[in-house]
Amino acid sequence: MADKEKRRSGLGSAGLTGDGKASRSDSDRDFLTQAGVGELLRGAVLKMVEARSDDPIGFLADHFCNLASMTDPGGAGWGGEGEQPNSGGPMGAGAQEQQHLNRALWHLRLAHHSQRSAFSNNVRVAYDLLNLSAPRTCSFDGPEAPDVPCSPTGGGGGGGVGGGVRGGLYTQTLQCLCSEGGVPASTSAPLLRRLHCQDHEAVPYDVFRHGVLTCAVFSDYIRQAQRLYAEVCCPDEGPVSRALCMAVLGTLKEALETSQGSDANNIVNANAKANSCLEVNVKAIRYLEASAKISPCKLAQAMSGAQTRGPGGNMDAKEFENAAAELFITRVKVVS
Amino acid sequence: MTNRMSRFNSTVPVDEYLADSNVMFYLSDAVTQLLEHKEEYTQFGVIRYLAEYFSSVKNSNHVLFREFNYVKATPHNRASFIRVFWRCYRQIGKSGDLLSMLEYRSLLQLLCPDFPVEMVQSASRIVLMDDAIDCLMSFSDFLYAFQLQFYYQEFLDSVLLIYQDLLAGKSPNTVIVPTSTSIEQLPSVAAEETDREQDGVDTPTLAQCVDALCDRFKHSFPPRACMRDILEQSDKVSYYSFLMSLAKHETVNQTIGVLPTKAELLIDPEMDQELDKLIAQISVSPGSNSSGSAVGGALKEVQRKASPRRNIHHRRRMEVESDGSTEETDSSEN
Repeated sequence: MADKEKRRSGLGSAGLTGDGKASRSDSDRDFLTQAGVGELLRGAVLKMVEARSDDPIGFLADHFCNLASMTDPGGAGWGGEGEQPNSGGPMGAGAQEQQHLNRALWHLRLAHHSQRSAFSNNVRVAYDLLNLSAPRTCSFDGPEAPDVPCSPTGGGGGGGVGGGVRGGLYTQTLQCLCSEGGVPASTSAPLLRRLHCQDHEAVPYDVFRHGVLTCAVFSDYIRQAQRLYAEVCCPDEGPVSRALCMAVLGTLKEALETSQGSDANNIVNANAKANSCLEVNVKAIRYLEASAKISPCKLAQAMSGAQTRGPGGNMDAKEFENAAAELFITRVKVVS
Repeated sequence: MTNRMSRFNSTVPVDEYLADSNVMFYLSDAVTQLLEHKEEYTQFGVIRYLAEYFSSVKNSNHVLFREFNYVKATPHNRASFIRVFWRCYRQIGKSGDLLSMLEYRSLLQLLCPDFPVEMVQSASRIVLMDDAIDCLMSFSDFLYAFQLQFYYQEFLDSVLLIYQDLLAGKSPNTVIVPTSTSIEQLPSVAAEETDREQDGVDTPTLAQCVDALCDRFKHSFPPRACMRDILEQSDKVSYYSFLMSLAKHETVNQTIGVLPTKAELLIDPEMDQELDKLIAQISVSPGSNSSGSAVGGALKEVQRKASPRRNIHHRRRMEVESDGSTEETDSSEN
């Protein structure tokens, strides 16, 4: 509501051009109502505020470009991301599925996974969108319906009548998330094998959410690992000594183990609802301990220790990344 | 999930977030523009119009041919305009032409029809150190001075007030924030006092006052470290030599973040290629205006206008005919 008021007052005070505005204000208002401008802008601002993008203008540009490409399936070559694989002509089932996938991915990109409610909403919207592609579904009113964020029901049986997103689409979504997150396919392949569902399977919401969240966290984790290697490495001196890398990886492993405690799946379930106050406290303490373990001072200690002993030879960036990825992936439980 | 998403800022209140980003300003302008050109935009859809509007804001093309009040309304708009000015007229710098203040004014008015002459005058004063205002200036000298003057206008006006108070021997504590009416009279006052300004004022006192000004200033100002840096270099400083040093300071340039360093200002092979392509296109099919968006077409036109010099002369003739009544009132501060 506040948005609306602001917009209206902004309109009134805009007054940048011409004086005839006041007399035309009624027809202007009618025009805006008819064109649905208010709804469009409200939707955009809500999304933007929810995501708290650092670049709001860029966010709005992407948002409207995406909307334009959705409402206008024939419009190839338009800004956005070239989302119409076969422009013109009626869309085949494959093209429609591709479009649903693109829109779902776009929703998933909107908010970082640390912004929990926003991320959860977006996952839900993406899930419902992909569910539209399931051949049996017909319960949604139209392409606009799923854009209304529904709260996660948490039920294991999937939201729609369709019974769940098809396994093939689910796998494709995860692949895209990883590659967009800057993770090389070779690094993400082992993770995707663990999260894999068969193409013909109907993936329930919980599994979908788990997969998406794992991939999002994994992308972040790999980026951090890459940065860690860059820190350890001196650009002029070529690859880093194996001993040094092993020390760093050892520290990382120890930290991961601490953060998980006995529960082997906490790393991706941190987002899940905590059951009791006690559990939350225990978790928090564990995270604190873990971050202490990977603190610069601990890392420096391990590294200086490693310089005197340990295996010889070097380790390149890719090997380091793979080793770090493995630490993560072994902690992800196999789906199905 | 890119780096654009900051994880730690969700605690910023919504109002603050919206205010910091000037989003409401752009939304309201988008609606105003939509209403101004209803017929045009409804043809190709409101969503597409909004998409194009915000894409152009993002790509900094949005200030082309807009009114001055819009161009100066946000830091992003100002920076965008500086960038457009540079990109459109880079060829002038390349050919080494020296232009007068009025010629630069004409160039600016090709991009923004009601661009006020005062701003151009102030920028020229920085280049010429408030001396012989009708001298010719190189493109790069003018560009960096213009950038400083245009981007930090409000701040520089306040500094000038402080400077004049110091010159007159008033206590710096009585310095008041200028109102918009007083600003307009300043340049002439400054010109009259040229003799006294040769000496300048004590830099430690000025530095102290500038620092205090920064503490309470609500518009943007150049990085404090740069100003301190410059003011520490001599015992006495005049207003325009201070501004000249600021204009040439690379950190200031980087802070605004749209222009390259002076050494790289005229190097842009990509742009050269693009320009060659455009020229080829124009010579092949005169009058064809089919490709690209409205903004793209407009840019093309500017570049076409920019290269042959006769346009400048043409503009000059027009100025003689109209009496240059582009006096801007500075009433709406955003």
